[in-house]
Amino acid sequence: MTIDPQPEAVPVAGGPGAAFPAAPEGVSPDRSPWYLAYKRFVRNRLAVSFLGLFVLIVIFVLAAPIWADNVAHTGPNESHTLQKLRVGDEVREVVTPEGRPIGPQWFEAGGKFFLGADSRLGRDEMVRLMYGGRTSLFIGVVSGLITTLVAVVLGLLAGYYRGWVDAVIARILDVLWSLPVLLFGIALGVSLAVSGLQIGPLTIEGGSNWIPIFVISIFTVPYVARPIRGEVLALGEKEFVEAAVAQGAGPLRVMFGEILPNLASTIIVFFTLNIANNMLFEAALSFLGAGVQPPNSSWGTMISVGEELLTTQPLLAIIPGVMIMLTVLSLNIVGDGLRDALDPRSKVRLEAHAGMVEPEGASV
Amino acid sequence: MKKIVLTFLVVALAAVGVIGLSSCGGSGNDTTGGGSSSGSGTTAEGGEGEGEEGGILNATYASFPDYMDPQLSYTAEGWTAMGEVYIPLLTYKHASGAEGAEVVPGLAKELPKISNGEKTYTLFLRPGLKYSDGKPVKASDFLYAVERMFKVNSGGSVFYTSIVGAEQFAKTKQGGIPGIKTNDKTGEIQITLVEPRGTFENELALMFVAPVPQGTPNEDLSANPPPGTGPYMLVNVKPGQGWEYERNPEWAKANSKAMPEYPTGHIDGAEVDVIRNPQTQVNDIEQGKYDWMQNPVPAARYTEVKDKYEGSQFIVRDTISTYYFWMKTDRAPFDDQKVREAVNYAVDPAALERIYSGQLKGTQQILPPGMPGYSKFELYPHDMAKAKELIKEANPSDMNITVWTDTESPNNEAGEYYDGVLKELGFNTTLKIINADNYFTVIGNQSTPDLDTGWSDWFQDYPHPNDFFQPLLAGESILQTNNGNFANFDNPAFNKEISKLRAEQLGPEQESAYESMDEEIMKEAPWAPYGTRTLDTFVADNIELESIIYSPTFFEYLTSFEFKE
Repeated sequence: MTIDPQPEAVPVAGGPGAAFPAAPEGVSPDRSPWYLAYKRFVRNRLAVSFLGLFVLIVIFVLAAPIWADNVAHTGPNESHTLQKLRVGDEVREVVTPEGRPIGPQWFEAGGKFFLGADSRLGRDEMVRLMYGGRTSLFIGVVSGLITTLVAVVLGLLAGYYRGWVDAVIARILDVLWSLPVLLFGIALGVSLAVSGLQIGPLTIEGGSNWIPIFVISIFTVPYVARPIRGEVLALGEKEFVEAAVAQGAGPLRVMFGEILPNLASTIIVFFTLNIANNMLFEAALSFLGAGVQPPNSSWGTMISVGEELLTTQPLLAIIPGVMIMLTVLSLNIVGDGLRDALDPRSKVRLEAHAGMVEPEGASV
Repeated sequence: MKKIVLTFLVVALAAVGVIGLSSCGGSGNDTTGGGSSSGSGTTAEGGEGEGEEGGILNATYASFPDYMDPQLSYTAEGWTAMGEVYIPLLTYKHASGAEGAEVVPGLAKELPKISNGEKTYTLFLRPGLKYSDGKPVKASDFLYAVERMFKVNSGGSVFYTSIVGAEQFAKTKQGGIPGIKTNDKTGEIQITLVEPRGTFENELALMFVAPVPQGTPNEDLSANPPPGTGPYMLVNVKPGQGWEYERNPEWAKANSKAMPEYPTGHIDGAEVDVIRNPQTQVNDIEQGKYDWMQNPVPAARYTEVKDKYEGSQFIVRDTISTYYFWMKTDRAPFDDQKVREAVNYAVDPAALERIYSGQLKGTQQILPPGMPGYSKFELYPHDMAKAKELIKEANPSDMNITVWTDTESPNNEAGEYYDGVLKELGFNTTLKIINADNYFTVIGNQSTPDLDTGWSDWFQDYPHPNDFFQPLLAGESILQTNNGNFANFDNPAFNKEISKLRAEQLGPEQESAYESMDEEIMKEAPWAPYGTRTLDTFVADNIELESIIYSPTFFEYLTSFEFKE
C-alpha cells in the first residue's frame, strides 16, 4: 500500500511536540493550526474512510432499539427456547430438542433471527450484536475518558512539580505498568462482579458494566500518563512556561492554562487509540467471564458464548469477532491519521527511523 | 447425595462386602435407578478386569471440589475424588445401578447389630487396619471423626444429630458425645441414638464419618488432606488446580488383607487437573491427552459426542437427582407463597430440557423418578398468564432480587433463563454467576448478602426419600454455614413429619407418606423444581469403558478404571 504523501510541514508555533495554541493574533482563522490539521486529516483518505466505517458502526449500535422493536420484535436478553418460527409454510424451531440453536434466517422470517439464535437460550443474535456493541463501545469510550482524565492530571502533576511528587506518581505508575494486566484484571473483575464495589459514597453493584470500566481504567492509566508526564517535563523547560511564571502565574494556571493546551494533540491521539485498546481489553475480560456479566451481552461475551458452538455454528463467534476487529482497526487508523495530522513531525520521525522515508515532505 | 456441582461423585467405598449384604435400616430397597448396569459384575474383587494392570490415569475435573476433606465435602466432585481414599465403617457395594446402593461393611467387620429398640448400633473395627501414614486405625478414631465433623460445622452434620448428646455437642463443641462409646482394645464401637432412625446405616456409610487419625486439626484441610485408609492416597493437592493419587503404601501391607473384598484397583495412581472449559476437556479426551473427564460432556457437544462415541467411549447414566430453583422462604418477596407459586407456574421445564440439550427430563416435584415414594404429579403446569396474575395479587413490596447460579454449563444458562423468567414476572433482577468450585459454600453461608433465589441440584446420598427432605427442607437443617436448606424452609408440621418418618423402616406405608409429603410441600412451593438429569461417562479410547463401575451414590469408582491391554 502506499503511504500518503507527507503533508507539507507547516511551521507551527511552540516548541517541538507542542501543538497548537489558538491561532496567533493576526493569522487568519483559515490558517489556524487546527484548520491545517483538519486539512491534513482530510487528505488522508485511508483515515477518512475508516472514520466513516467507525461512524457506521456507531450508527449500527445506536439503531439497536429500532431493530429490536420494529424488525426482530424481541429484546437482547429475551429467551425463545421453545418458540417456533414460521417461514413460509415451514415451521422451524428456534432451538431443537437436542439444544441446537437456529442458524441465520436473514430476511426469511421478516428479519427475526437475522443472524440466528445465540445459544440454547434462543436469543436473537442480531439484537444481541447491536446491544452488545453498545456495551462494548460504551465501556471503551467511558473507560477511555476516565483513563485520559486521570492520566492527564497525574502526568501534569508529576511533570510539573517534579521532585517527590513526581517520584511517588511515577513509581506508582511503574508498579501498575509492571503488573500482569490481564491476570489482575481477571482477578479484580471476577471478585468485583460478585461482591460489587464501594468507594466512599460511590457504590457499584456487582454485575454492573461500571465494574469492567473501573478495572480497565485503572490498568490503562500508566500507558497514557507516562508519555504525558514526559511531554510535560519537556514543556516545562520551554520559554513560554518561564514567561508565564515570570508574569506571576500560579502552578494551576501554568499547568492548565499553558501546558495543557500544548498537550491537546497528544491527548486526542491517545484517547482515540485508548478506546481501541480498552475495547480489546473489555473483550478479553468478558470472554473470560470477568467483564460484562450475563445476561447482558458485549462482543466479548458473545464470542465466549459462540465459542461453545464453534464447530456447528461458527458465525456466532466470528461475527462479534469481526465487529471488534473492524472497530479497533478503524479506531487505530483514525488515531494514526489524527497523529499525522496534528503532529506531522512525529510521523516523519517514526518513518525516518524505520528508514522508509526521508524527513520532511519526502514521499514514497 | 450431594449437590453435584457438576459431576458426580465419588467413589468410594466400597464394598467390603463380604459379609453381609443384608439391609437393615432402610437401605436395601432397591429402587435406585438403574443407571447403566454394565460393569456391575465387577463387584468387589480386587479386580480381574480384562485390561492391563498399572498405569497412571490422567483425569480432569471441570471444577475443584468444594472441600478435599472427608468430614466437609458435600458435593459430587468431592465424593468422587475422595471415595477410594477415606473408607467409613460401612460403605456401599462396588457395583453399578441399584446393586451399588447396597450398604456393606467397610472398616467394620460386619453390618451393625441393632438393639435397644433400634436405637443402639454396635460395630467392631477390623483388626490390623492402618492409615496411609502407618498409624493403626483405632475405634476411638471414629468418635474423633464425628466430633471433628461437628467442630468444622460440616453440612453433613444434620444426619448425625440423632446420636445421644450430639445435638448439644454441635452447639457447644465440647463435652464429648456420650452416645458413642468405643473400645480400642476390642475395636468395639457402640452408637446410641435418641430415637430410631431408619436411614442410619446409610449415613454410617457416608464419608462424613470416615475415621481420621486423632490429632487431625479441626479445620478445613483441603490443601493437605489427612491420611486415609483406602487403596489410594491423595498427594500434591493444589486447591483450585488439581491433585494426584498414589497407592496407599499400607494398603498392600495391611488394609487389603484386613478387608480382602474391597477392590485394590488396577491403576497405580492418577493425576487430576482442573480444566475449567469443558469443551477443552472433550477435545483433550478425543486426542488422548486425558483419559477421563469426571464432569458430564457439556451440552453444546453432547449430541456430537454421543453420536460418535456411544458404546465405545461414552455411556449415558441415569441418576436419582432433582434440579431446582430455591427461593428463600423467610424473606421478601419469597416469603409470600403466592410469589413462589407464580415462579413455579412461570418456570417451564420443557424449555430447560432444551437448555440441557436433552440431558434433563422435566419434573416439577421434589422426589425424582427412581426414588421410593416418587409418584408423578403436576401442580404447576406452565402458565405465564396465571403466574403474572398471582404476582399481581401478591403485589410484593420488594421487587429487587438477586439470582444465583454457578459457572458450569448449562447451569449458567439455566440461571440466565431463570433470570429472564423473573424479569418477565416484573422483578428487577441481578444475576450472580459464581465459580463452581465454591458456589455451594457461598450460597450455603447465611451471611452472604442478597441470597434471594437461585439454582441448585441434589443427587441422592442413599436410596431413601428422607435424603431429599431432611437435609434440604427440614428446619433443623438450616445451618449458618454449609447450609443445605437453601430455601430456609422451616414448617413445623413438615419438620415433625420428616422426623417421624425417618425413625421408621421404609415400607409401603412410609412410601405413600413420603409421596404425599412431596406434594404437600410443593403446594407451599419453597422450590421450583425443573427436572432430573442424566449424566455420562466419557473416556479416552485406551480405557476399558465396560469395567468402569458407576455407583448411584459415588459415580465412577477410581478402583474400577483400567487401561486396555
